[in-house]
Amino acid sequence: MKQKRIFMKPGKTNAEDRMNFVKFWAEFVKTHSDKEWSRQQNMLINSQIQNSREIMKNKK
Amino acid sequence: MDYDREKRTIRINKELNELDKFAFEFLKIVEKYTEYVIISGYVSIILGRSRATEDIDVFIKKISKEKFCKLYKELKKKGFWCLNAEDENELWDFLESKMAIRFSKENFPIPNFEVKFPKDYLDRSSFEDKIEVVIKNKILFISSLERHIAFKEEYLGSDKDFEDAKHIEELFREKIDKSKVNKLKELIKRRKENEAKKNFYEAGQN
Repeated sequence: MKQKRIFMKPGKTNAEDRMNFVKFWAEFVKTHSDKEWSRQQNMLINSQIQNSREIMKNKK
Repeated sequence: MDYDREKRTIRINKELNELDKFAFEFLKIVEKYTEYVIISGYVSIILGRSRATEDIDVFIKKISKEKFCKLYKELKKKGFWCLNAEDENELWDFLESKMAIRFSKENFPIPNFEVKFPKDYLDRSSFEDKIEVVIKNKILFISSLERHIAFKEEYLGSDKDFEDAKHIEELFREKIDKSKVNKLKELIKRRKENEAKKNFYEAGQN
C-alpha cells in the first residue's frame, strides 16, 4: 500500500524552518517503522563518527 | 517505538548505530559499580532526533573513591581513556568539585561520555523517575521526558535545545505530563536564581 506523504511547512526564518523540520521528522518517526527511521538516522550518526575516526587515524 | 508510561519503559526496534554501540559498551561497565541516568541531547537522539553529537551526558550516583578507582581501572582495561587527566586522584577531585570528566575510546575523542555526579536535589531526583529504554534486549536508562523538556527549555535554552525538546513533545504529545514539566521548570528557575545570586556574591568577594 502506498504510504501517505507528509509535507513540511517552509519557515519564514532559518530558526522557524529548522523547527518545522524537527516537527516534520518527528511525524516521520511516528509514521514509519523503527527500522526505517533508524536506517536514515544512522547514516547521519555513523558518518560523523567514521569521519572523526579517519581523521585520527590519518594523524597518526 | 512504544512508550508504556505506567511501566516507565520505551521499547524501540531500531538498528543500532555507532553511537548506540559506544553507549552500551561504556554503560555496561559503569552499571557494575553504580546507577546512571543519561541526560540531555542523547535522550532525544536515541528517541529518533535527526542529529549527531560528540558527547553523551550522564549522571552517576555518588560512589566512594575506592569504588571509583575500580571503575576507572576497568574502563582503562576495556580500552577507554579519560580526556581530562590520567591520575585517578585528580579525576576524583574533579568529580568531587562538581565538574564533569570525559571518557572516550583510546585515541578517538569522538564520541565521548561526559560523566558527573548530581550536584543538587534536582539532579539527584533524575534517578527517581528515570525511564528504561529497551532496544533488542539491551537496556539503558534515560531521564524522564518531562525532566528532559524542562531542562532543555528552561535551563539550557539554545536553538538546539529547543529543537531537542520539540522532537520529544511532538513524538509523545499525548503521553507527556505538562503539569510536571511546569513544576520542574519552576524548580529550575529557582535554581538559576540561586546560582545567579551565588555568582554575584562570589564576584563581590574577588
